[in-house]
Amino acid sequence: MRKKYFASLISHIYLLLLCFFAVFPLLWIIISSIKGKGELTGNPTAFLPKVVTLEYYRHVIFDLGFIVNIRNSVIISLATTGIAITISALAAYGIVRFFPKIGTVLSKVLVTTYIFPPILLAIPYSIVMAKLGLTNTRIGLVLVYLSFSIPYAVWLLVGFFKTVPIGIEEAAKIDGANKIQVFMQVVVPLVAPGIVATAIYTFINVWNEFLYSLILINDTSKMTVAVALRSLNGSEILDWGDMMAASTLVVVPSIIFFCLIQNKIAGGLSEGAVK
Amino acid sequence: MKTRSYTKWLFVLPAVIVVAALFIYPIFSSLFFSMTSKNLIRPRYSFLGLKNYKDILSDPKFWAAFLNSLKWTVYSLLGQILVGFTAALALNRVKLFKGMYKTLLIIPWAFPSIVIAFSWTWILNGVYGILPNLLVKWKIYETAPQFLTEKNLAFIVLVLINIWFGAPMIMVNVLSALQTVPQDQYEAAKIDGASALQSFQHITIPHIKLVMGLLVVLRTVWIFNNFDLIYLITGGGPAGSTQTVPLYAYEMGWGTKLLGKSSAVTVLLFIFLMSVCIIYFTIMNCWEREENK
Repeated sequence: MRKKYFASLISHIYLLLLCFFAVFPLLWIIISSIKGKGELTGNPTAFLPKVVTLEYYRHVIFDLGFIVNIRNSVIISLATTGIAITISALAAYGIVRFFPKIGTVLSKVLVTTYIFPPILLAIPYSIVMAKLGLTNTRIGLVLVYLSFSIPYAVWLLVGFFKTVPIGIEEAAKIDGANKIQVFMQVVVPLVAPGIVATAIYTFINVWNEFLYSLILINDTSKMTVAVALRSLNGSEILDWGDMMAASTLVVVPSIIFFCLIQNKIAGGLSEGAVK
Repeated sequence: MKTRSYTKWLFVLPAVIVVAALFIYPIFSSLFFSMTSKNLIRPRYSFLGLKNYKDILSDPKFWAAFLNSLKWTVYSLLGQILVGFTAALALNRVKLFKGMYKTLLIIPWAFPSIVIAFSWTWILNGVYGILPNLLVKWKIYETAPQFLTEKNLAFIVLVLINIWFGAPMIMVNVLSALQTVPQDQYEAAKIDGASALQSFQHITIPHIKLVMGLLVVLRTVWIFNNFDLIYLITGGGPAGSTQTVPLYAYEMGWGTKLLGKSSAVTVLLFIFLMSVCIIYFTIMNCWEREENK
């Protein structure tokens, strides 16, 4: 009994330690972003701010025009998510119901798409987008983003669609519904929570993406948040306060969404993959 | 009967078309351009055969980058598995605060690479960063250590940051795999007098082996291909000490504008990763067969 108590004490200490490391960078960028002018460079080891101010946020959003980049990222992420989820939901359902054999090798198909180095894909993408006149456009970026969104979304969704009992669909079919109607009116509502979780996951991944955005967009007014942040670093006056405020604006939505869906996505790999 | 098989295809067709267009076309396009003198800016190019490949394979910088990539992948992967696995075991043991721990621990997973770069370069900044300044204040160092610009330190620090970012994903997946292990098997083992280590070895490991295998494959590929973290934190420096193959390819394509040569690098990268995956999958197929015996 005592041995068990000891083991759980050790586990708590270990987890607390890990939590500290996991959370500290987030905490630190938020704290740094609300400190008063001069505090960041004046007293680097002070933990709490002497003066709390939102001045850096105001400066980043309005003076540096970060709001334009936030708008770009929201539009691009929403568009990609909408298209990717529609295509992936159809495909996932099709695989589960009509091509179950593909379902069993799906994890291998997913890994295969992972093998393609993004840097390999980036070269042809940039050549093709230039030919189509889609460099520096949101449409171009949305198309490219489908490359990593769809395979992963299909894979997650297959796991959710598998849980729908075929009996319910048979009943709807007897009532005279065709395949599309069965899908839209019976199956989709049943797996709606799974679809929403997958959509949020897709949204976060697109919101966080960097490489393609770096390569395909170089016009400041079209930049996504990730690349705009990068250019903040490259600008002449390096102001850590601005960088921390902008970082907070980018990372907080990701974290909130991620915490909301953590339980839905968590089992994805072990449930969807191996069976 | 005919219309039936037709709608069935309609479901999967859009995904198949998009994936084919976004994956199959680029690989052939890259293969083609890798044998040309394609330039990022100049429109004209000529056919070179295998010259680009020969040039790259005789470039010591490529081999240095390849070695860095191997080290980066192996160290990061081992670290992520060690931290992620032990964290999952600890989480599986505790009852109190379990949800809170889990939520806090997955936070790094949600970080965009640019914010990972900003937050850590800020924490480690050689002049204003909190960590170097604390180390000086506590008298551990006399002058602030330059974590990201000193040759020996930069690589280790990058790997540590990558472990920080990747361990949560391993943790979450191992944890959900651990929960699929039937509890009565542990009870039975206990009655038979098995030690904790023995039941871990003979019950836990066999149950989560396949999930772990797949995780390792996915992570290996992901870490090997990773471009953002290194590019944003050290840019491959100092003096090329953290340059990996994806950065080498980027530098060639967008730095010196030699897209053809850069394509050849990425094709080599692709071939290497494919071979690694084939080996992994062969091993995993053996495991699966053993399990079905």
